[in-house]
Amino acid sequence: MAHSSACRPADNPFASSRIDMLDYRFPACTIDDLVTGLSHSHHRGAIVGPHGSGKTTLLENIGARLEGEIVWIRLNAEDRTPGAKARAHLPEILERRHVVLVDGAEQFGGWAWWRFHRRIRTAGAIIITSHRSGRLPTIYECATDVGLLAELVKQLAPQMADSIDFDEVFDRHDGNIRLCFRELYDRCAGSGARGDGVP
Amino acid sequence: MTLRIDITHDRQWHLPGENVSGRAVWNLDAAPEAVELRLFWHTSGKGTQDVEIVKDLRIDNPAASGERDFSFSLPLGPYSFSGSLITLAWALELVALPGGDTERVQLVVAPVPAEIRLESLGRGPAGHSIHIGPSKR
Repeated sequence: MAHSSACRPADNPFASSRIDMLDYRFPACTIDDLVTGLSHSHHRGAIVGPHGSGKTTLLENIGARLEGEIVWIRLNAEDRTPGAKARAHLPEILERRHVVLVDGAEQFGGWAWWRFHRRIRTAGAIIITSHRSGRLPTIYECATDVGLLAELVKQLAPQMADSIDFDEVFDRHDGNIRLCFRELYDRCAGSGARGDGVP
Repeated sequence: MTLRIDITHDRQWHLPGENVSGRAVWNLDAAPEAVELRLFWHTSGKGTQDVEIVKDLRIDNPAASGERDFSFSLPLGPYSFSGSLITLAWALELVALPGGDTERVQLVVAPVPAEIRLESLGRGPAGHSIHIGPSKR
């Protein structure tokens, strides 16, 4: 599909600022079910799922529902020493009132995670996202499907929805919704993937 | 509840280095802890958003209704621009604290009376970058 007129980045329906405003979509339960269920795991839990499946969005949604002093730790693959970065975000003393949210806990190696987990064990709640299970009890597994992609696109850019082959886009990015949005951003920008360094 | 920013002569476009002046007006249900007027630029587009507050004017413990003249000197850059990946936009924002009710007015800060469109600048030789803003000395 080609768009005849390119739109400004600020007006692009797939701009990151618009995507950040989307809430996580639950196929079956609700966020209230999930927050209530946290008490069964002593307010410790992991949100597990592949890249671009909504883990960060869900963690942000949960964080907004929890009472307490939120300590956000966001890790990514570029962090060479995730343990040091994570510890730098922590207050000196973690108490019951603290809620520690760790996005990207798979960046910790086994030993680094063990040390970090020992450091934060006094917090009232610890919720992490990870690509794999095992670090904390899994409280939710994020997954995507073509229907979810279509639903989100219809919300962001209803005028585009009829012209998108959702199956094709979804398959091309192995179900990574974030990458699907980036492709659709480029379509709206009329740029394809320029890669020429022009911002 | 009203929050309003009146810019002198209703001018949205300003040259880099110029003054932007006007009046901040608020009429709230209750007296806020403070009202704050911020001059800032922000990016939006494909990647992470950047924001920089360049100037601010804070009025502590104001009455529920009031107004305050302001005058901010704009910096020499960055210019307002749009490429394919990001838009950089300037704005004035009036915020009532702590509730966070907000009024925002967009500005264009550029040497020409519209944001700069990078695609109209053409492409430089491979490996060269395009500098958006005043020349560096």
